[in-house]
Amino acid sequence: MPELAALPQPVGPHRPLRLGVCGPVGTGKSSLIALLCRELAERLELAVVTNDIYTDEDARFLRSAGVLASDRIRAVETGACPHTAIRDDISANLMMVEDLEFDYPELDVVLIESGGDNLTATFSPALVDVQIFVLDVAGGGDVARKGGPGIERADLLVVNKTDLAPYVGVDVVRMVADATAARGERPVIGLSRSDRSSIDALVGWLDGVRDHHLSGALIPVDPGPMAAHSHAHAHGHAHEH
Amino acid sequence: MPHPELLMLMLADARLPVAGHTQSGTLEGALANGLDPADVPAYLRSRLWGAIRVEAGTAVAARHAARGGADLAGVDRAWAARTVSPALRDAARLQGQALLRLAVRVWPGAVGALEVVTRPSRSTVLGTLAGHLDIGAASLARLVAYDDVQTVCAAALKLVPLDPVVVTGWVHDALDHVDDVVRAVADVQTPDEIPAVASPQIEAWAQAHAGSSRRLFRA
Repeated sequence: MPELAALPQPVGPHRPLRLGVCGPVGTGKSSLIALLCRELAERLELAVVTNDIYTDEDARFLRSAGVLASDRIRAVETGACPHTAIRDDISANLMMVEDLEFDYPELDVVLIESGGDNLTATFSPALVDVQIFVLDVAGGGDVARKGGPGIERADLLVVNKTDLAPYVGVDVVRMVADATAARGERPVIGLSRSDRSSIDALVGWLDGVRDHHLSGALIPVDPGPMAAHSHAHAHGHAHEH
Repeated sequence: MPHPELLMLMLADARLPVAGHTQSGTLEGALANGLDPADVPAYLRSRLWGAIRVEAGTAVAARHAARGGADLAGVDRAWAARTVSPALRDAARLQGQALLRLAVRVWPGAVGALEVVTRPSRSTVLGTLAGHLDIGAASLARLVAYDDVQTVCAAALKLVPLDPVVVTGWVHDALDHVDDVVRAVADVQTPDEIPAVASPQIEAWAQAHAGSSRRLFRA
């Protein structure tokens, strides 16, 4: 039988870092990608793959933001299956990423935006090396507490649009604390494009991930489709099965 | 080598990771440009009379070429000459790339002969693979035609939600026409024997779809 790479392998500097951005509809995934492009485009070579429900809504948004050459922003059709396209049959996305890497051999980072799905959708570690799950304060202060694979175990959780908190009656500090409690050691960033320190934190996180990637030690981690085996951590109980 | 029938089932399974969920068999473009949802069964038959004879014939010719060491590039050129719409050629080549991507990992050596073909179409890749896997010509033609029926019907369930039992009835009713395709192409050997059948309305819908900015399906 052929040798198939069954499980995520370390990925090194031989190819760009593949960064996934997922989360529910309207939480600001495209804006976050546009923000990263604006912050990084001067020093890094970037490209973006979008998976919007309709082909190129997000791609057009990003092109119109003018942060990258339009040929570096490409859209994948998902046949109304946004979850499938990033999780179980990732072929269309992988081919698009590989085409971009072929066309732009100098790329440092390929950003992949999921179609806005629900709280359960996360990327396959065979498609992305690292993933950000995006929530926003306008979605309600209790969302972070509800948990789910992305909220609990994505590499980074962003609580977006913190500047809107006073208008939607959400206690940001509490929401970030809830998210942090759900995630153990994993990082949470409360983000607003009008809060410079939050942007610096996001860029700093990505730089750290890139260093890890370039060292060859980064192994993609699956946030999982299900609850982690042990909910016990959150409740302080022993881990028994 | 596993039994060819098992390999056929594997290749016919929608769960094969070749991005099949991104394809509608031009149904999305057709519905957006005037096809009545009630006419989907007739649409299936039109495809089986038209483009699918080209696809199935190409696959069978590629199988024959692969087994006999003949020129696969010539088969693919014959397919391209019979596939008028650039959008449909592009979609088929993308599907070919996806299948090739899978085949080089799961059946290494099966598709080496395709190295001489630039961006082979799905039918060329599938026929080459079938030759390696000992899938017969008639079975291969059946696979191509059946897969098209299921692709259109699965997309119909996304685009115009219906009772899936009704749609499965459409699939069943199309099976006799699938076998007509098999009879028409099972004996194809050389590229010039591939049926040359155009479907101008479907090609026009495919082109219109490719120019749309609000697609759910690639093609």
